[in-house]
Amino acid sequence: MKSAPKLIRHFASTGMISSILLIIFNIILVFTILDSYNNTSYPYETAEKAAKSLKRLESGYVLSDNMARKLESENIWAVFIDNHTLEVVWNTDNLPDTVPEKYTASGIAELTIGYIDGYPAFTGRAKDGLMVLGYPKDSLWKHMSPSWDLNFISDLPMILLILLVTNILVIFIIYMVTSSRLVNAINPIINGIQALSSGGPVRVNETGLLSEVAANINRTSEFLQSQNYYLHRKETARANWIAGISHDIRTPLSMVMGYACQLMEDINLTEEEQQKATVIVKQSRRIKNLINDLNLASKLEYNMQPLKLADENIVAVVRQTVADFINMDISGKYEFELEAGIPRALCNVNIDKELIKRAINNLIWNSINHNEQGCKILASITADNKKKDHVTVEISDDGTGATDRQIYKINNAPHYMFRDESTTEQRHGLGLLIVRQIISVHGGTVIAGHSPCGGFQVKFTLPLPKK
Amino acid sequence: MKSSYLKSKCILLVDDEQKLLDMVVSILKNDGYTNIQTAGSVKEAIMAADIQTPELAILDVMLPDGDGFSLMQQLRKKSDFPVLFLTACGEDNDKFRGFDTGADDYIVKPFLPKELLFRIMAILRRCYKEEYTLIKLANSEVDLPCAEVVKDGSHIPLTAKEFELLSALYRNAGRIVTIDALCEAVWGDNPYGYENSLMTHIRRIREKIEADPSHPVSLVTVKGLGYKLIVP
Repeated sequence: MKSAPKLIRHFASTGMISSILLIIFNIILVFTILDSYNNTSYPYETAEKAAKSLKRLESGYVLSDNMARKLESENIWAVFIDNHTLEVVWNTDNLPDTVPEKYTASGIAELTIGYIDGYPAFTGRAKDGLMVLGYPKDSLWKHMSPSWDLNFISDLPMILLILLVTNILVIFIIYMVTSSRLVNAINPIINGIQALSSGGPVRVNETGLLSEVAANINRTSEFLQSQNYYLHRKETARANWIAGISHDIRTPLSMVMGYACQLMEDINLTEEEQQKATVIVKQSRRIKNLINDLNLASKLEYNMQPLKLADENIVAVVRQTVADFINMDISGKYEFELEAGIPRALCNVNIDKELIKRAINNLIWNSINHNEQGCKILASITADNKKKDHVTVEISDDGTGATDRQIYKINNAPHYMFRDESTTEQRHGLGLLIVRQIISVHGGTVIAGHSPCGGFQVKFTLPLPKK
Repeated sequence: MKSSYLKSKCILLVDDEQKLLDMVVSILKNDGYTNIQTAGSVKEAIMAADIQTPELAILDVMLPDGDGFSLMQQLRKKSDFPVLFLTACGEDNDKFRGFDTGADDYIVKPFLPKELLFRIMAILRRCYKEEYTLIKLANSEVDLPCAEVVKDGSHIPLTAKEFELLSALYRNAGRIVTIDALCEAVWGDNPYGYENSLMTHIRRIREKIEADPSHPVSLVTVKGLGYKLIVP
């Protein structure tokens, strides 16, 4: 299961990125808001400027027109207190009556940090006095005890950083906890879906966030299982039906074959009659092969043929199969030859011996059935000495062979048994189909072609065990 | 040939299909077998065996009142005679079960009469060999129990390996025995790599049994496959 860690990684990175983005967004927001409130210039700065723009002429003090206009527009009053007398020596016209005209040192100290009669006061130094600006009541708030621990101020960057990191961390943890809960809820669902795809039965706990999805998965699994069960039952029934038919044909066919064999050798019969008996024997043998093939083909197709794999010497297996053929003494028309140019070390293959013998048998029968006039049948076993990964068994004959088109069809077209539509083309037997099925369950390949000696040839490979 | 002795052995044939029984009886009779009993069911088979103990039984697996495997075990309580199954049950598992319970051979229907006769003869030869000893070849005679060859009046002893080889060839007389099967018969479970030794032993056997060992007529080579013992 790779999806859950992937999902968690995805959630973690999303969480981290979103917390950082959130902090940045907040900072920008705070500065924007602050900026929108500070559209007036800074009061202390204005006071300093006002102090500088107050000129002492012989006729008295005069404020520059610009500053006068600015103060008036913002409804600020101003007084100028003389350093020596501590009395107001100049003031704007809009000075409220309640503002005193004489000050003590403590009064100066108080107005510097605070208010005069509720008006927020700001001071600006001039050469011989102090400019005091009075802003409208309730327009500004002044911090009255502006003193900080120096350590705090020096540590402030670090404190801010820690604050930031802690914030990010807290957001991240909250995010992770919620997402891991989600992942925990999703995990069994993902496992369930994966198990569904492999075809096994699935049971997901129907609780938690995604109980509805879990219930649907369970229902799907039950549905698939019942489908599989019915399909398997159908396939088994079909294979058993074929097995039953082949069983029931065997006994009557034994009698046909047995009596025909007797007639074939009955010296009281004419040669023509004996010949007819020979045909019956030959055709019965074809039926026998066909029912054997039909049974095996259906079992291989529906995976009902258990493989009995063992290490076998492929040369010995081919040799025994060919010898059995000669021992059967079918007739003197067929000449057999075996070529085994293969080192001993490459002879051992892991195979079901009986099935491989069956495949070779089918190939030899194929040559015999297609060459009634007789032919030479060559079995050869070779191995690729370089790769050493497979052995090749070739059964070829010098008989009538097949056309390129027929060979192409044998190699490429599906067998009529497994086509969904019926065909009017000439049907060939099950022999080659079985060879293909047998070799395929052993992990090998089959290819038909022209034999170098003019007839038909089938090559199949078997993988050598890896060392 | 002493096959007439083997062909007088009592053979019990059990099959529920009467027509098949008739046919097998006619095949056996045509080949010279003289003592044949038939039965159509387990019950009949046991009765027949009580009257005369068979020396070979040919049984079907599916019988109306039981199965051939248990019938074999029942019959063998009396005497340990060879059993050949002749049945329509062609599944591998049936075959394995047959051999597992002690069958000597297993033939799946339909069968060629010749094959049945050959297998019966092979079993009889194997099981009643002590009474059937002298093998007559083209240019000599082989006395297997004495492990010697009689050629031109002189007695030539066989070595242990030559004896094993000749026995294996004789059991399959007239048929090719592959190189691998011969090596296995002589050298056992791991018979690979003995092909050259096998050739040497075959040459020595030929020197003993053939008139002209360079042109053998009794022990012939089948190129690439194996050897065949020809018993005239």
